[in-house]
Amino acid sequence: MLTVENVSKTFSTPGGQVQALKDVNLSVKTGEFVSIIGKSGSGKSTLLSILGALDNPSTGSIIVDETEINKLSGGNQTQYRAKKIGFVFQQYNLVPNLTALENVMLALEFGGYPSSSRLDRASQLLASVGIEEDQQQRRPSRLSGGQQQRVSIARALANQPAYILADEPTGNLDSATGKKIFDLLHDLSRSQKTTIIVVTHDLEIAGKTDRTFTLKDGKITTK
Amino acid sequence: MNVVTRGVKNAVRSPLKSGAIVLMFAISIALILSMLVARGSVLAKINDVKANAGTAITIRPAGVMGDQGGGDPLTAAQIATIKSTTNVSSVTSSLTDQMTTTDTNLTSSLTLGSFGARQQRSTSTTQASTDTTGADTTATATTRPAPTPRISVTGTTDANSVSTTGGTLTISSGAAIDGNSSDNIALVGATLATKNNLTVGSTFTAYGQTITVKGIYTTGNAFQDSGIIMPLATVQTLTDQAGAVSSVSAKVNSSDNVALTVTALKTALGDKADITSEAEQAATSVTSLEGIASLTLAGVIAAAAAGALIILLAMILVVRERRREIGVIKAIGGSNGKVIGQFIVEGLTITVIGAVIGLVFGILVSGPMTTSLVSNSQNSASTSASTTGRGARGGFGGGFASARNQLNTNLTQVTASLTPQIFLAAVGITLLIALLGSAIPAWLTARIRPAEVLRTE
Ligand SMILES: Nc1ncnc2c1ncn2[C@@H]1O[C@H](COP(=O)(O)OP(=O)(O)OP(=O)(O)O)[C@@H](O)[C@H]1O
Ligand SMILES: [Mg+2]
Repeated sequence: MLTVENVSKTFSTPGGQVQALKDVNLSVKTGEFVSIIGKSGSGKSTLLSILGALDNPSTGSIIVDETEINKLSGGNQTQYRAKKIGFVFQQYNLVPNLTALENVMLALEFGGYPSSSRLDRASQLLASVGIEEDQQQRRPSRLSGGQQQRVSIARALANQPAYILADEPTGNLDSATGKKIFDLLHDLSRSQKTTIIVVTHDLEIAGKTDRTFTLKDGKITTK
Repeated sequence: MNVVTRGVKNAVRSPLKSGAIVLMFAISIALILSMLVARGSVLAKINDVKANAGTAITIRPAGVMGDQGGGDPLTAAQIATIKSTTNVSSVTSSLTDQMTTTDTNLTSSLTLGSFGARQQRSTSTTQASTDTTGADTTATATTRPAPTPRISVTGTTDANSVSTTGGTLTISSGAAIDGNSSDNIALVGATLATKNNLTVGSTFTAYGQTITVKGIYTTGNAFQDSGIIMPLATVQTLTDQAGAVSSVSAKVNSSDNVALTVTALKTALGDKADITSEAEQAATSVTSLEGIASLTLAGVIAAAAAGALIILLAMILVVRERRREIGVIKAIGGSNGKVIGQFIVEGLTITVIGAVIGLVFGILVSGPMTTSLVSNSQNSASTSASTTGRGARGGFGGGFASARNQLNTNLTQVTASLTPQIFLAAVGITLLIALLGSAIPAWLTARIRPAEVLRTE
């Protein structure tokens, strides 16, 4: 269960204060697959980063399974990200000088997974998202966008997180590949009971999720 | 994979860039090491020269050098003053003279050569003109005697003062003479003895008196070996200069007191005497070395600063370049500690490789570097020395100038030696810059917000 209570976020920029989120309230049940849509600049990424403890709200609180994560210390927020959250980004964000396998193993290391079995687990995870053995040894630059996104999903799943936060995971992919990635996430939510929150521009994708929140100028307009 | 392997792996991530950084860093480390070596060697040399400068002070009548110049010899009263000066531990007095063929039955073993001939002529001319006052100048010219080599006589309270090595005079046969005696005895230079068939016990005539040869000495110096050494009092009596002394060498009890004693003597003797000390000469001669020493210190500081700056800037650039990657690592659960550790390892890997190359390179170049630093500056120093030396033409500055030249030759012979201490100092400085250059940029990664990964660029 994830609850957002009265969250506002203000950025100070040289041009003045920018209010990215205005008194946002929402809650997502465990195992739910929800989407967040909205125009560019409406605050979708900002909301997602606060849910994932990448940033703290200016006011309000985020309660994840009884823990108010915005009150955690920096170190505990890092632990929260490592163990409870899996991130999937629009630009994949794999570490460029590490192979697909090593990228997944990196997440396993941060999650405290025993080093002896990291390799096997990473290999299994990659296979489960459709990355074949020879592709696993490649660096991100030698994989296609769709393959990189699969690797990043494998990385997100590494520590069996309760939540997967995806910011436009299909944004850089053609529609066919995008659909495959979406189906992959969809299957996960069914099979592993992972709560998935996905930010998207694609209304067709949004339509297939359990629930859709719409953000407009930092405010939630539909539930 | 862990922090260390990731750090090392990142260090060789772009070989060209890392290679360039390694090379620049290596050069500054090599500079640090060779500058330290040069400094150490030069400082050692300075200490050496100062320590071995000796504690002798030479006092000569004002305006006199050897048998040349003008003025009055030092008097017995002045010698007494010198002897009673604080810190003066021993005093050797000497009076030199040159015997012409009219003074002695001995034949000089020196050939005049063009140098000697020129000198003798100028002396004879002066004498001739005084002797023949009012006479016809052409007559003077015709009566001028053909120049003949003279025999130098040294009357001294300590025969060892004639030794060219500064130690004991080598007596090849016979025995040393007592410098405080007033008997008509002499030590004869080996060359002069051979020339005149003199052996221990033989006699010769000088200043109208019969002198007994007590011993034959050798110095290896052609001029000295053609001379005669007698007790001071004997020469004073023979040449009719009671109590006169042309040169005094005073030993000071400790090298720390030399400057003090020179000042005291200058005050006591006033403008009647010219006073020089080996220590003063040594001090002036090492000024150029001291210049090198401070230059190398500046070099060490500059090279260290450059090395630190190279690593610092390179690592700051690396951190900036990898902002997003750092953000990603933090987003997926990497702690600040792990990120900082990874960057420190990366910086240290580059600096350690650079340092090893630099130290090896430094060991190779420190020798030639020291030599060229020292010889370049010494060349300019001796050039200036020889220009000033030319003013004292006439050769009497002879001993003096040759001593100085000898000093200069010695000074160029600074051998670069890499002592363990210097090596450790270089390693220490290197480690310090490596740590600074790696830790500061690594610490900057702590400020990178993980939320930045969600921003599309
Ligand atoms: N770190 C920041 N500093 C200043 N302003 C920011 C920062 N992050 C976001 N903003 C501002 O907050 C607002 C919301 O940004 P956000 O990135 O959440 O939009 P978005 O809905 O994700 O847009 P897009 O669909 O283009 O990704 C924008 O006006 C943006 O300029
Ligand atoms: Mg966004």
